[in-house]
Amino acid sequence: MSAHVVVRQLSKRYGVVDALREVSFEIQQGEIFGLLGPNGAGKTTALECLVGLREPDTGEIVIGETDVRRAPAEARQRIGVALQSTALQDKITPREALALFGSFYREREAPGVLLERFALLDKADAPFDSLSGGQKQRLALALAFVNRPHLVLLDEPTTGLDPHARRELHHEIIRMKQEGYTVLLTTHYLEEAEQLCDRIAILHEGRVIAMGAPRELIAGSSTLQTVTLVASRPIAEERLRGLPGLESLRCDGTTAYFRTGSTSSTLTALLRLLDEQHVEVIDLQVRKATLEDVFLDLTRGTAMEKPAELTR
Amino acid sequence: MALLYGYLFPVIYLGAFWVLYRYEKVPLLHHMGELLTVSVLGGACFGLPTAMVSERERGVWRRYRLAPVGSWAVVLSTIVARYFIVLSAGVLQLAIALAIGMTAPEHPWALALVFSVVSFAFIGLGLVIAMLADSVPAVQALGQCLFLPMLIIGGVAVPLASLPPWAQHVSAFFPGRYAVEALQACVSGRGWGETRFDLVALGLIGAAGCVTGAKLFRWESGQRFRATASKLWLVPTLAVWFVVGWLAESRGRIVIKPAPATTAESPATPLAPNPATSVPVTPPPAAPSATQPAPTVIAGSPAPVPPVVSGPPKQRWELLTEADIASLDYNVPPDSAVVTPIASADDIPDDVTDRLLANLEDALLKWPPGLVEDPVQRVLNLMAVAGVPDLVQNPVERFVPIIVQRHLETLYPKDKLVRILTWIALHPNDGVMIEDVSELGLEGVGSGDLVRERVYYYAIKFVARLTGRKAG
Repeated sequence: MSAHVVVRQLSKRYGVVDALREVSFEIQQGEIFGLLGPNGAGKTTALECLVGLREPDTGEIVIGETDVRRAPAEARQRIGVALQSTALQDKITPREALALFGSFYREREAPGVLLERFALLDKADAPFDSLSGGQKQRLALALAFVNRPHLVLLDEPTTGLDPHARRELHHEIIRMKQEGYTVLLTTHYLEEAEQLCDRIAILHEGRVIAMGAPRELIAGSSTLQTVTLVASRPIAEERLRGLPGLESLRCDGTTAYFRTGSTSSTLTALLRLLDEQHVEVIDLQVRKATLEDVFLDLTRGTAMEKPAELTR
Repeated sequence: MALLYGYLFPVIYLGAFWVLYRYEKVPLLHHMGELLTVSVLGGACFGLPTAMVSERERGVWRRYRLAPVGSWAVVLSTIVARYFIVLSAGVLQLAIALAIGMTAPEHPWALALVFSVVSFAFIGLGLVIAMLADSVPAVQALGQCLFLPMLIIGGVAVPLASLPPWAQHVSAFFPGRYAVEALQACVSGRGWGETRFDLVALGLIGAAGCVTGAKLFRWESGQRFRATASKLWLVPTLAVWFVVGWLAESRGRIVIKPAPATTAESPATPLAPNPATSVPVTPPPAAPSATQPAPTVIAGSPAPVPPVVSGPPKQRWELLTEADIASLDYNVPPDSAVVTPIASADDIPDDVTDRLLANLEDALLKWPPGLVEDPVQRVLNLMAVAGVPDLVQNPVERFVPIIVQRHLETLYPKDKLVRILTWIALHPNDGVMIEDVSELGLEGVGSGDLVRERVYYYAIKFVARLTGRKAG
């Protein structure tokens, strides 16, 4: 069964707020797709429309061969969802919860298999309210797999987890990919998206403002690289100003910071200048733009005029 | 929480009722209707919505919503689960009552059926509360708004007969009274055959509640009630309540009817001897048999005659000795108690009561049962005039015994009266008991056995008063 996801021209309005504005994206079978965006960007609304919890005003959602808007219950049969925080009844045990949720679906995985896979065997018969945050999140993931889903939706799965639990979860998501699941995840953590996702879409104010593989987004962005120079003696600021491609220069005694869009030519000129002045270089750092820089630039509104350039 | 409301609460109520009605012969038998109703009410009006709203607040339902289950499945499973909680609480209550001496319910299967219908009605109510309330504190507030009125003026914890007429009319619009009536009929009445109206009323209220609850269903606490488009569904629920109340009113069911059992019993004919009683109250005059020690017959009185059919001869009241009088159990409820109260000298009746009592005093002179020939039956009939209002918690109950005693003292010399009363107290099951004294202006009908019990206490109290003993 294919888990190819097609979302076309999805729009949803709450009163005067446009939660989604003609959002379109596709997720290929076996891909991990990230939906990024600041709070209120429309990530959750998009996810809820995908699961059939919310009815979009216009647009089309097809998962495999199922039109979600026409047959939301059918779509739910094949989608596994883990929410940011999953609450269950206090006294239900992981084993009971997996058996109960399994009974809602036509196809189901045996609780024992899931307990083992998500390292919950020790806590299989412990009441839900006695589980730790990490264990609860693992149970939430296990519940997402209870129906042998074709598509797995993870809504901010690592929010609120300690670094150890987060690392565990990352491994789990990578394993999903290896096993051929199609995964859609939303996250706040750019690093996480960069590390896990094959492709991402950045949502801002209900619109997709950028989409592509993380590395392509960074490479294709106009975001400048940051250079930090520590010299053997103070450098005259006026001299540096003449360097090609230089932006937002700041000098502080022997240290200078600046950004540049053409790293190699700027650095060549800089080193020649320092050599002429007989100034030694103590430390020179060039930091490339991260996904975070791209994201911040885009969502700050400064890049709002450039989405055409980035969106494929 | 569920444990607290589901089990502790009914048990506390049971204890309270046991203490309150400790003088009744069979403990709690005539209060199981009220007790079981309280049990269901607590479980359904508090337990159910509290559990539902707290699950919704914590986001439990949000997870269920992601699975292919409809809201109807959540509602239905909640109803079924709650029914079993409520049922087990009811069984626990019944078990405790049986353990402390209550006799078994007369119609156990009917009781199970009626209990289920009552549960359905209140669970429907609980569902509506759960859907109206946005938070757990709101459940508490809303629940109390239904619970307390139902308890106090809805006929659940306070007998309807002791409430003013307006409150009795209000009670017609609460399901509580129908629940109490129907359950009580199964415990100590004629079973569910006589509760058809109650069952229909409860079924309607329950169905309306369930439909409205399902229509108002909200998966997430973020969806506030105020913003719910379907809140108009409240209208049918309220309409059904209104229709039920109106039907009850139009069928004249709102009259005081404290003991559901009485409606089914054939009204006793006070003047005709009841063949079921063990000793004929007016025995045919006959010569004492030779095998029997000849009693000192007081001149002018009918000769004491043993029952022809059974055992040792019973003594007539004339033969009672001072020892017999002293042998009475004077440990009766105090005059200030709920059972068999007698107003103290400084308790001045208000004008309305005063007029009613004056009328009563006049009416007693002409009341046929107060004129019958047999002195024992005559006194018994007059004692019922005090017993019935006490039983039905008539507001004037504490003044009536004073009028009755005063009237009795005009009929017989003290010595005679004491002996007749002692005879009545020693033979509480003899004679025919009047159940309805409404022709004397005292509303209410009591069941025969219960009136007997009250008459027994009053007889002892009167004897104590007439002989300067201390009672209570």
